[in-house]
Amino acid sequence: MAKSGTELPLPHNIDKSPSGWSILWQEIIKDKLALISLIFLAVVILGVFGTALFLDQKEIVTVDLFALYEKPSARFWLGTDYGGRDVFGQLIIGTRNSLSIGIMVTVMTGAIGILVGLVSGYFGGVIDNLFMRLVDFFMILPMLMMVIAFVTAVPKYNTLTFSLIMTAFLWMGIARLIRSKTLQEKELEYVQASRTLGSSHLKIIFKQVMPNLSSIIIVTMTLNLAANIGLESGLSFLGFGFPESTPSLGTLVSYARNPQTLESRWWIWLPASLLILVLMLSINNVGQALKRATDARQRRG
Amino acid sequence: MALLEVRDLQVHFPIRGGLFSRQVGEVKAVDRVNLTIEAGQTYGLVGESGSGKTTTGRAIIGLNQITGGNVLFEGIDLASRGARKQNSVRREVQMIFQDPYSSLNPKKRVLDIISEPLRNFEKQSPQEEKRRVQELLEQVGLSPDNIYKYPHEFSGGQRQRIGIARAIALKPKLIIADEPVSALDVSVQAQVLNFLRDIQKELNLTYLFISHDLGIIRHMCDRIGIMYKGRHVEEGVPKDIFDNPQHIYTKRLIAAIPDIDPLQREERSNFRRSVSEDYEHAYRSYFDGDGLAYPLRSISDTHRVAMPEKG
Amino acid sequence: MWKIIVRRLLIMIPQVFLLSILVFLMAKAMPGDALTGMLDPNIDPAAIEAMRERLGLNDPWYIQYWNWISNAVQGDLGQSFNFKMPVTELIGQRLMNTVWLSLVTLVLTYLIAIPLGIISGRFNDTWGDRLITGYTYVGFAAPLFIVALLMLWMFGFYFSWFPTGGSVAPGEVPGTFSYLLSKLYHMLLPALSIALITTVGTVQYLRNEIIDMKQKDFILTARAKGASESRVYNRHILRNSLLPIAAFFGYELTGLIGGTIFVESIFSYPGMGQLFLGSIVIRDFTVVTALVLLYGIATIIGSLLSDIILSIVDPRIRIK
Repeated sequence: MAKSGTELPLPHNIDKSPSGWSILWQEIIKDKLALISLIFLAVVILGVFGTALFLDQKEIVTVDLFALYEKPSARFWLGTDYGGRDVFGQLIIGTRNSLSIGIMVTVMTGAIGILVGLVSGYFGGVIDNLFMRLVDFFMILPMLMMVIAFVTAVPKYNTLTFSLIMTAFLWMGIARLIRSKTLQEKELEYVQASRTLGSSHLKIIFKQVMPNLSSIIIVTMTLNLAANIGLESGLSFLGFGFPESTPSLGTLVSYARNPQTLESRWWIWLPASLLILVLMLSINNVGQALKRATDARQRRG
Repeated sequence: MALLEVRDLQVHFPIRGGLFSRQVGEVKAVDRVNLTIEAGQTYGLVGESGSGKTTTGRAIIGLNQITGGNVLFEGIDLASRGARKQNSVRREVQMIFQDPYSSLNPKKRVLDIISEPLRNFEKQSPQEEKRRVQELLEQVGLSPDNIYKYPHEFSGGQRQRIGIARAIALKPKLIIADEPVSALDVSVQAQVLNFLRDIQKELNLTYLFISHDLGIIRHMCDRIGIMYKGRHVEEGVPKDIFDNPQHIYTKRLIAAIPDIDPLQREERSNFRRSVSEDYEHAYRSYFDGDGLAYPLRSISDTHRVAMPEKG
Repeated sequence: MWKIIVRRLLIMIPQVFLLSILVFLMAKAMPGDALTGMLDPNIDPAAIEAMRERLGLNDPWYIQYWNWISNAVQGDLGQSFNFKMPVTELIGQRLMNTVWLSLVTLVLTYLIAIPLGIISGRFNDTWGDRLITGYTYVGFAAPLFIVALLMLWMFGFYFSWFPTGGSVAPGEVPGTFSYLLSKLYHMLLPALSIALITTVGTVQYLRNEIIDMKQKDFILTARAKGASESRVYNRHILRNSLLPIAAFFGYELTGLIGGTIFVESIFSYPGMGQLFLGSIVIRDFTVVTALVLLYGIATIIGSLLSDIILSIVDPRIRIK
């Protein structure tokens, strides 16, 4: 039997130490602004998706010629637009659509970016060179113009093709970030230890390295979500986002491109604008709080 | 047959530069190294940083690409492609790393860390796995209750014990220990070293022990090889190296070992002075034109030194 | 130093080449060509087919690409079908408007960002700093088109302080001083809208940099030697913190590219962004391809500039 040495005996409790996730959660709760933002987001998401269940999108986007440009009233809480369509209903459906596509694009760009970043950073060499030249090339593309051009070029586009187009031009940032973090991580001895213990490259990448990047992945994805919602509504605002039958928050704002609407019919575009602003602000608050939380942990650790 | 025989091992790293990052040269990190380790023995590799001792160890276990030469483990050449695909070799050579802080994945619990090799090579049920990990923890002198803790909750010495538990989990034959105690407090070093000797006897392990600390090497090893700039300069049993050093580089290393006995002060400083004079006058006869060591030449049954034939 | 520049220039060539192919194929993939818009039932389809043939629209794509790119290299980007004038000429008019708008934006950005950043960093954790940090928080999150829209609504329509569209008041004679003034007046609100957002990065950077720098040993040494507070800031901290900002200039430039599309559209400012949106709607693809190519090249040059300046300013980045 080996000697146990004179090091301090560890306390005899078998309970689990808190995992990284619960620490992150505690940090968020401590941050008042982030907590309020998180609650607000939860309320908006639940409210919007819940209400949208009872709203008929077809009915809302149907033109009603007897109710053009009505001011807010008991019947139309936020008035009507140039086609006599209920702005409040469009707001609810628009928020749902904007959120859905934002999440979809974030998940897809995240998946591609993380995969490319991990593989590129871990293997290095030719693979890395190849991927990074590809990333460099995508970085020089004028992203907004490319998306607009593709949206016009794709014959029958719907929400899926739209989010695919956005994804195609937005995955590079996270790929670069994950690559540089992977480069640092793979120099640590635990990666080499895993090699000597017989773990395959695939196992090391996803089971050993990736968990160590989890906090940075979460922070980036959160911040990206805000950016993607902004970009989607911006594109819809310019008229290159969703088709008009699928209103987004940006569609409502786009009515303000008519100077008269902008000047004197605030109820159509202002609520949507403010909602976009507040949504992005809240998501960012949560993201920044997560960022601080992970930084602080690194300082302590 | 020796357990491990390294013949003419070469590990070269390319230097890239220029406009298109072409290969403009190479670093000969390990330059024709030979060594033999008998089962149950400890072979010590000593040298300054950059001498190629760590690269040698890493090449044997497969972390660095071997440029040339053979690494025979129980007669199987690990330098040939596909040799490592056979699991038996991969599980029988394990490594203990220098830095107990970065060698354990900070996001994994002790259970996951120690059972990583078990999961790769042995199909066990979670219960069996857990029991095995607890056994291993006990074996390295830690409480089996620690399996759900994270590495950052342990001290450096305790972490190194976790690293050792992980390395012996598969009951390997050869363990490459790369500076296993140099990141630890001096007070803990001796404990870990003694413990390494204990489990060596217990599990009949063979060590390739890499260190820059001659004191530790003397304490641990049955055979010692001294490396300089990728080549061996001297090799022998501890008695040869410490009592009868031949090469000027070995002499200088030994002269640098501090001695706290005041009675020997005069003797030591005389020794140092003579070594220093020797170095200044006879440098040419110890190193070739590029400042590298000559090939090894036997001067006794156990003792070999890198000096040209006299005359 | 020269090695870096040559290397970057060499990387640029395949990038521009790939970009041009991509842009060209994309334009080809767009539904309909320029003649589709002219489809008038009174015109004989055979005549249109003949026109297609004459314009080379029926050739395989690589021949069309070759014709297009070899002309482009000589400065001929083709004819705009909508405006019935050479694209180069058409873009030329708009290009100056966009360049001027970008320049005014950059000036405004630095005018706002540098003082705010310095105040925020030097007096960190005072309420002034908190106010500025709050602004950067909102500015970081706020999308440009919303800010621009709110600015237009408030200062353009509600207060009527600024014009709500165009690049110059009608009736002004080019070359006169009042013409210049009118141009600037028209640019101010759009430029300010972008600047309010682009400042955020610089303010945050400066703040962090100054706060970091304050605790550095060489600053403590300067203080210990008895240097006055203003000397410490002007000679030691700001000199080190401000230089990298100059280097971000190029990236700033590329960031503006996306911004001008929104802002020009909102303020009906006749620049390249507005031209792009207009052309894409009417499928004037010679103009679209030319614009995307131009913007892409501008991005490449912007990042090249930044990398070069950065490596001059900060010797630590001069590896490879």
